[in-house]
Amino acid sequence: MDFRWTEEQELLIQSLEELLQREAPETLMAELDARHEFPFKPWQALADNGILALGIPEEYGGVPADITTLTLVCETLGKYALPLGIIYSLGIITIRDIIQFGSEEIKAKVLGGFVRGDLPVALGITEPQAGSDAAAMKATAQIDGDDVIFNGQKMYCTLAKIAKYILLMTRDAQGTNPYASISMWLLPTDTPGLRFNILNKVGWWTVPTYEVFIENARVPRKNLVGQFNSGWPQLMANFEIERLALCAASVGAAEAALEDSLSYANRRVQFGNPIGSYQAVQHILTDMAIKNENMRNYIYKVAWMMDQGQSVRHEHAMCKLYVARAACEVTDSAVQIMGGLGYMMDHRVQRLWRDIRLMRIGGGTDEIMYNIAGPQLLKHARKS
Amino acid sequence: MKIVVCAKLAPDASDIEVRSDGSISLDRAEWRIGSFDLQAIEAAVRLRDAHGGSVTALSAGPQRINHSKLRKDLLSRGPDELVLVAEDVLNGADTAVTAQVLAAAVRKIGAVDLVLTGEGSADLYFQQVGLQLGELLEVPAFNAVSKIEVKDSGVRIERSLEEETEVLELPLPAVLAVTTDIHTPRLPNMKEILLAAKKPVYEWSLADLELENAPEPRVEAVSLRAPRPVERKRILIEGSPEEAAQSLAGYLVKEGVV
Ligand SMILES: Cc1cc2nc3c(=O)[nH]c(=O)nc-3n(C[C@H](O)[C@H](O)[C@H](O)COP(=O)(O)OP(=O)(O)OC[C@H]3O[C@@H](n4cnc5c(N)ncnc54)[C@H](O)[C@@H]3O)c2cc1C
Ligand SMILES: Cc1cc2nc3c(=O)[nH]c(=O)nc-3n(C[C@H](O)[C@H](O)[C@H](O)COP(=O)(O)OP(=O)(O)OC[C@H]3O[C@@H](n4cnc5c(N)ncnc54)[C@H](O)[C@@H]3O)c2cc1C
Repeated sequence: MDFRWTEEQELLIQSLEELLQREAPETLMAELDARHEFPFKPWQALADNGILALGIPEEYGGVPADITTLTLVCETLGKYALPLGIIYSLGIITIRDIIQFGSEEIKAKVLGGFVRGDLPVALGITEPQAGSDAAAMKATAQIDGDDVIFNGQKMYCTLAKIAKYILLMTRDAQGTNPYASISMWLLPTDTPGLRFNILNKVGWWTVPTYEVFIENARVPRKNLVGQFNSGWPQLMANFEIERLALCAASVGAAEAALEDSLSYANRRVQFGNPIGSYQAVQHILTDMAIKNENMRNYIYKVAWMMDQGQSVRHEHAMCKLYVARAACEVTDSAVQIMGGLGYMMDHRVQRLWRDIRLMRIGGGTDEIMYNIAGPQLLKHARKS
Repeated sequence: MKIVVCAKLAPDASDIEVRSDGSISLDRAEWRIGSFDLQAIEAAVRLRDAHGGSVTALSAGPQRINHSKLRKDLLSRGPDELVLVAEDVLNGADTAVTAQVLAAAVRKIGAVDLVLTGEGSADLYFQQVGLQLGELLEVPAFNAVSKIEVKDSGVRIERSLEEETEVLELPLPAVLAVTTDIHTPRLPNMKEILLAAKKPVYEWSLADLELENAPEPRVEAVSLRAPRPVERKRILIEGSPEEAAQSLAGYLVKEGVV
């Protein structure tokens, strides 16, 4: 067993760390958060330095990268500038769906644009009545000659208004099996008939989320991504890597929370000694460090399995469940260690705490992760 | 234009550990490209990109600089090839020895138009290697160079001095030590990192350099100690400017400073 990164990975991450310190320093990220502004400039810097090119096919300006390398990138983004890690993770699923299922024309414009700094394609699955039960979606796609006309309402559609495209999921009302009645489309966000309502969130203030009302939005039929009524399996193909990427960003945030806590515990004097000298505080810090170590090992293992072409059907769900909860606990402990300061907007741990809380809900809730992993575990036990 | 850029690979200063007796341990330090040399590499690569030619990175030091990650790190920043003179006798080499070895290597590379170095090395920072190198190669050598333009068959340079900027035109070949603000060094991307592994690396021994005389150190390091941290005095001086100046002078005399 070899826990070392490759030299290429070490050099890439060193370079990325320096880039983030230059282009996305904490002061800037804090400012953008307070102003609820998308980090356009740091995002462009990622493109300019080839980070967004990673894992994109070379013919569209990309550079080969395995899943382990992408995981390290997400973790580093999460540590230095969590919103960038979040945005990158959201992009991973839609961009990969397009790499795998998009037509040549769609790939050329979307992938080339992404490598040059376009925002990721937003993902339109969730609807008011279809959250965890995503297949209960109702948005329709009606073929009209060479065009298709969309109607419906999407919920919690992150980046929708500011991205160039939404990867829109629709449901064929005629189909009896919902999983064989869903289609995937590329919907330009400037299409007439779209209305966006921004949602106020507890965290993710620099990464806007919208409710999208779709009324007779007409696009060419060739905007279909993949096969008609094959949208569900296409979507599932890349959910695992999206969850892994969200986990990696969360681990980065937990590392940042621990670093802040350690440095504060060494500095802050109460009762005549640094609070770090008290066992009660050392226990909290040690538990945080153990969780971080476990989370990191778990995401690297899942990434490695994916790179080996192994199935991660239940492992990825267990990993997401563990990481989302552990990262919430670690950021909560950071707030605790900082006492009153931890609860103040002046310090970043409150932001990490607010931003990380979503990880137990978005990309599939904790409970849904149990629902994926549990039956798989039982099935494996029956087989062996 | 054929450019050689000299870069020292040295222990990262942020990894230095001070032992309880004040001695310094570099055992756990990661070795990196000298931070001041990164600017020289950037300047060399930009000149090549604008005017054609090639950039050869050159580094001399102990065996451990011949490490594949360091080689890739150097080459991922743009040079076309790398020459390493890595022998343990060069561990802790003084500026005279370093300049003699680099001069011999530059001669062996041959037909070099321009040699660039950083302002000083990241660990010792004597700021002398560039000038000594020019002397040994018998070509013009300048430090504090903050701008380089190719002009006719030579270069036009700006030197940032304390009070003024000096503009000079020089024939080539020449040796120039660049300032830290000449350019912001680029950050290598994955494409460049992957490409770095495919670029040529030449490992030369001191014997390969055919030095007439074995390089002779001029400096003998007697000891290296971290300064002992001193508790701050925390003295607040109040009163009118005259009174304050008086009492400040009093304190300075009392502490034996003046
Ligand atoms: C900030 C944010 C950004 C988002 N971004 C996007 C996006 O870009 N694109 C997109 O399509 N969606 C997005 N979502 C939607 C997200 O995927 C859903 O919120 C999530 O899947 C949960 O759905 P829901 O909110 O409708 O909750 P519900 O599904 O209503 O769940 C409510 C509770 O019931 C539990 N529950 C539901 N079913 C079961 C069950 N069978 N067994 C046990 N427990 C169950 C859930 O775990 C949860 O605790 C985003 C959400 C948020 C909050
Ligand atoms: C919103 C808000 C409103 C407030 N309102 C008021 C108010 O109206 N009036 C007022 O006077 N104060 C008020 N406070 C202050 C509040 O009582 C303090 O924040 C609290 O007592 C903690 O002190 P601290 O923030 O300095 O943290 P610290 O005392 O610095 O604690 C930091 C961390 O070290 C731990 N720690 C400290 N000492 C030890 C020890 N000996 N052993 C183990 N662990 C230790 C703490 O539990 C904590 O986890 C308020 C604070 C907030 C955030």
